[in-house]
Amino acid sequence: MSLRFYQRLLRLDWTLVLAVLALLTIGAFFIFSASYRAPELPVSPLYRRQIGFALVGLGAFLGMVLLDYRRLRDLAWLLYLIGLVGLVLVLVPGIGKKMYGAVRWISIAGMQIQPSELAKLASILTLARFLSNTERDPERFSYILKAFAIVLPPVVLILKEPDLSTASVLLGVTVIMLFVAGVPLRTLGALALAGVLALGTLLTLLFFKPQWVPLSDYVKERIMVFFDPGRDPLNSGWNAIQSALAVGSGGLWGKGFLQGTQDVLGYLPRTVSANDFIFPVIAEETGFIGAMVLLSLYAVVLVAGVRAATAAQDKLGRLLATGLTGLVFCHVFVNIAMTIGLLPIMGIPLPLVSYGGTFVIGALTALGGVQSVYTRRHI
Amino acid sequence: MSWRGLFDDEVFRLRAVLVVMLGALGVLGVVLWRMQVANAVLYQHSLSEQSVRRLRLPGQRGQIFARDGTLLAGNQPSYNLVLYLEELRRPGRRQNTVTNVEAVVQKLAQILGEPPRLKRSDILAHIHQRLPLPLTAWRNLTPAARARFAEQTLGWRGVAVEVEPARVYPEGALAAHVLGYVRRAEPEVEEEAAFNYADPEMTGHAGVEKYFDALLRGTAGEKILAVDVSGFNYRFQLPGLAGKLQQRAPVSGHDVVLTLDARVQRLAENALEGVSGAAVVLDPNTGDVLAMASRPHFDPNDLTGVISRETWQLLLNDPGKPLLNRALSGAYPPGSIFKPVVAMAALDLGQADPAAMYSCPGYFMIGKHRMECWDNRVGHGPLNLRGALTHSCDVYFYNLGLRYGGEVIHDMATALGLGRRTGVELEGEVAGLVPNEAWKRRVWHDGWRDGDSCNFSIGQGALLVTPLQMASVTATLANGGKVWRPRLFLGLREAAGALPRPPPKLAHTMAWNAAHLRLVREGMRDVINAPAGTGKHAALPDVMIAGKTGTAEIGKKGEGHKLAWMIAFAPYEAPRYAIVVLVEEGVSGGATVAPLIHNIMNGLFHPDTGEGEG
Repeated sequence: MSLRFYQRLLRLDWTLVLAVLALLTIGAFFIFSASYRAPELPVSPLYRRQIGFALVGLGAFLGMVLLDYRRLRDLAWLLYLIGLVGLVLVLVPGIGKKMYGAVRWISIAGMQIQPSELAKLASILTLARFLSNTERDPERFSYILKAFAIVLPPVVLILKEPDLSTASVLLGVTVIMLFVAGVPLRTLGALALAGVLALGTLLTLLFFKPQWVPLSDYVKERIMVFFDPGRDPLNSGWNAIQSALAVGSGGLWGKGFLQGTQDVLGYLPRTVSANDFIFPVIAEETGFIGAMVLLSLYAVVLVAGVRAATAAQDKLGRLLATGLTGLVFCHVFVNIAMTIGLLPIMGIPLPLVSYGGTFVIGALTALGGVQSVYTRRHI
Repeated sequence: MSWRGLFDDEVFRLRAVLVVMLGALGVLGVVLWRMQVANAVLYQHSLSEQSVRRLRLPGQRGQIFARDGTLLAGNQPSYNLVLYLEELRRPGRRQNTVTNVEAVVQKLAQILGEPPRLKRSDILAHIHQRLPLPLTAWRNLTPAARARFAEQTLGWRGVAVEVEPARVYPEGALAAHVLGYVRRAEPEVEEEAAFNYADPEMTGHAGVEKYFDALLRGTAGEKILAVDVSGFNYRFQLPGLAGKLQQRAPVSGHDVVLTLDARVQRLAENALEGVSGAAVVLDPNTGDVLAMASRPHFDPNDLTGVISRETWQLLLNDPGKPLLNRALSGAYPPGSIFKPVVAMAALDLGQADPAAMYSCPGYFMIGKHRMECWDNRVGHGPLNLRGALTHSCDVYFYNLGLRYGGEVIHDMATALGLGRRTGVELEGEVAGLVPNEAWKRRVWHDGWRDGDSCNFSIGQGALLVTPLQMASVTATLANGGKVWRPRLFLGLREAAGALPRPPPKLAHTMAWNAAHLRLVREGMRDVINAPAGTGKHAALPDVMIAGKTGTAEIGKKGEGHKLAWMIAFAPYEAPRYAIVVLVEEGVSGGATVAPLIHNIMNGLFHPDTGEGEG
C-alpha cells in the first residue's frame, strides 16, 4: 500500500512526535544551562550545535518514516558489515580518537562520529530480520545461539574501546527482542540465571583476583567504584558523588533555570555535564517535578514504541520497533540510574537530551524506524 | 502452537515488556523522590559544605573624641594592593600558580618602585589557608605608587587596589597613654564559630582602646563566598546563591567621647615638655579627667601599622619606660603635697586645736634621733597650722604626727581614696600604699614607731600614691569634701545626635568640719599667694589659686632622687580645675613644678595668650 507524503504523515503517532520535540527542546535548554557560567562570560555554542544536530536528526526521522522498513530488510547485512568495519577502524591506532580514557570516535570528512551508534542500529535491524524469519523455530536453542552470534561481534568490538555500557545496552536489547520473538520463558530464565552467575563471578574475581578478569583497568575501576564510591572519591567516584549531590539538592521544585551551582563551580565536570551528566543539571534546576516531567515524556515515547510494535503488520516490523524502543529504554534507564547511584558510572548519554551529534541523529533515526513501522500498521 | 496463538502471545509479551520498562522508570521515580524530596536537606547541606565559605567581616571601629569634639582616634583609608588568585591561576599543579603570582609580584614591584614583600612561602601559605580570599601584596600604598599602578597596569587581570580602614590618631602623640593603640589580628575566638575565614580585625591593646574595645569594635558581618572545585573563589555573582544565603553587613562600633579636653590635655603635655613625669587635670565638680599626661611618651600611630620585633623590643626595654602611664601606673611618695591630708586628719579626727602653735628650730628630736626640717638653716620659728602649710614646715607636722598618731592620718588618707585604685576606665592602675600599724606588723613584723608617724606626717616613709589619686584628693579639697570617682568616659556619640551621658559617680562626701577645711584651704592659698609661700611661682595676677608643693625623696638622703610635686586648684572660691603635676628628678616642688602649674593655669584661664607659654 503506497500512500502520499501527507497521508503518511497523518498516520504518524503525534503524541510521540510531540514528546520527541519536547525532549529535544529540553535538551537544548539544559545544554545551554550546563555551559552557562556567568552573565559576563560567553556561553559555549554547544546548544546551537545541538539544535543543528536535532534538525538533521528530524530530517533523518522523516526519511525513515518515508522509507519502508521492509526495504531495509535487504540492506541489513550490508549495514551490519559497515558497522563492524567502523568498529574495527576505531581500534586502529591513528584513526580512532581517544577521549576520556576510551577510543570511541573516528573522524570522517572532518566530522567526529561514533561507529558504535551505527553498529547498534544495524545489529538491531539484522537481528530483527533474523528473528522474524518464520521458518525458524524460536523454541530451538540454535535460534538463540545464532541470535547471539549476530550481536557478539559488535559487542566484543565495542567492549574493546572500551565501552562497557554500550555493549551491555546491546545485550539488553537482544534479550528483549528474543523475548518478544517468542523464545520460551524457561530458556530466557536459564539465560538470565547464567548471566547473573557470570556477573557474580566477574565481580568476585574483580575484588579478589582482578588480574584474572579480561577487562581494561578503566572498566574494572568503574565497576569497583560503584560498589565502593569512597574508594577513589577524587577520580572515578567523584562524578557519582557530585551528580548525586546535584540531583538531591534540587529538592521538589529545583533551584530554577540557570541557578544550579554544581556545573557552574565545576564540581560536575564541564566535560561531561552537557552530555552524559545532563540529567543532574536538569534535576538540580527543575527538581523532582522536572525529573518527573522528563520521565513522563520518556514513558510517552516507550508507550508509542510498544504501540507501534503491537500494531505492526509483520514480525519484522514488530521486532524492529521492539528493538529500537528497547534501545531508547536501555539508554534512558542506565543513564539516569547511574547519575543517582543505582548503577556504576558508565559513559552513556540520555537520548534526545544529551549533547552529541551522532547520538541525537541515531536516536531520531531509531524512532523514525519505529514510526516507519507504525505508519504501515494494520488497520 | 498455531500462528494465531503465537500472535496473541507476542502481544501479551509486548505488554509485559512495556510493564517492565514503565516499572523501571517508576523505580527511578521512587529513588528520585527519596533523594530530592525526602532527603533534599542532606544533599543541600553537603553541597553548601563543599561550595560555600563564610567570611567574617569586622565592623568599622568606632572613633574616639575628646569632649570638645576633637577627633583623637579615627579611621582613614589604607590603600592595599591585592591579588585575586582565581584570575592568576595557572592550570596544572599549584606550583604553576605560585610561580605566576610570584612573577606578577615582581613586575608590580618594578612598577610601584617598592621591594616585593611577599615571599614564595607566603603565597603558598595563602593558597593553603585562605585560597578564596584576595592576597594582599602591599599595604598602605603611597599616592605616588597608586598613581603608577593606575597608569601602568591598565588591562591587567587579577590585581587591584582595595581600601581597608586603618587606625589613625590625628593628634599624633596627644593623650597617647590614655588612648592606647590597636593591633590588627585575626580574631581569636569566634563568637558564632561557623565562619570559615575571618578578616583581621583591629583590637585595642592599651588605654581606652583596650578598655572600651567591646564598644568600639562593632558587630561583625559576613560575606558568602562561592568556591569552585579547585578551592578558588568564584568571582562572578553565583546564580542560585542570591537570596538563599543572607550576607550580613557589619555594624560599625560606637563612637566614644572622653572627658578629656584637647586644649587642657595639650597644656598639661606642654608643661611636661622635656621632663619625665605626669600631669592630671580633674574637674572637681564631676571627677571628669580633663587631661592626663605622662612623659616620656610614644606616638600610637607608630604602633598600629607593621612594626618590627626590634622596634618593639626597643620600646619595651627603654629605661625611660615610654609605654608606662605614670599618672596611674606609677606609685610615688607624695612628700609635702600630703600635708593638707595630715592637717585635715589632725583637725577632724584628732580634735587638734586649729590655733595651736609649734616652734621650728630647723630640726626635731625623736629621742636621740634628729630629724631635719626642709629649711634647716635657721628654722621657721613659731608657726600656726596655716603658717606651717604656707612654709611647708616639716617640724610642725612632725609634732602633729607624733601627737595624733599614724592611725588618724591613715584613716583620713584612706577615706580620701588613697591606697585604693580610683577605678578610672583604664587598665594598669596601681593602688599605692597607705601604711598603718596593722600593715607594718603584717609586712614588716615590727611595731609602729614615732619615726613612722613623723615620716608619714610629711608624706614620706612607706606611703605611695599615684598622681591621679592626688588629683582626686586635690579635687576633694577644692570642692568641699566630695570624693568623685575619676572618669574618662563621658558618653557615646550617636549618629542621631542625642548622646547618652551617664552622670558622674560620687563615691562619698567627707563629713568635714567647714572651719577646719577653710583653714587648710587658706593655708593652701597662702602657699601660692603669700610672699613667703613655697608655691608662689604658680601665682596668676587675676585668678586666685590654692595649692601645695612637695619634694619627695627616694633612696638614701642626700644621694637620693628627688620627685618634685605640686597640687593646685582654682579659682579659689569656685574651683573648676584640680591639677597635679609630678616631675621625676626635679629640684623641688616650688622651683621645678610651680612654674609649670603657672603655665597650665595661665593657659586654662587665658586661652588667648598662647597655650601655656605665658
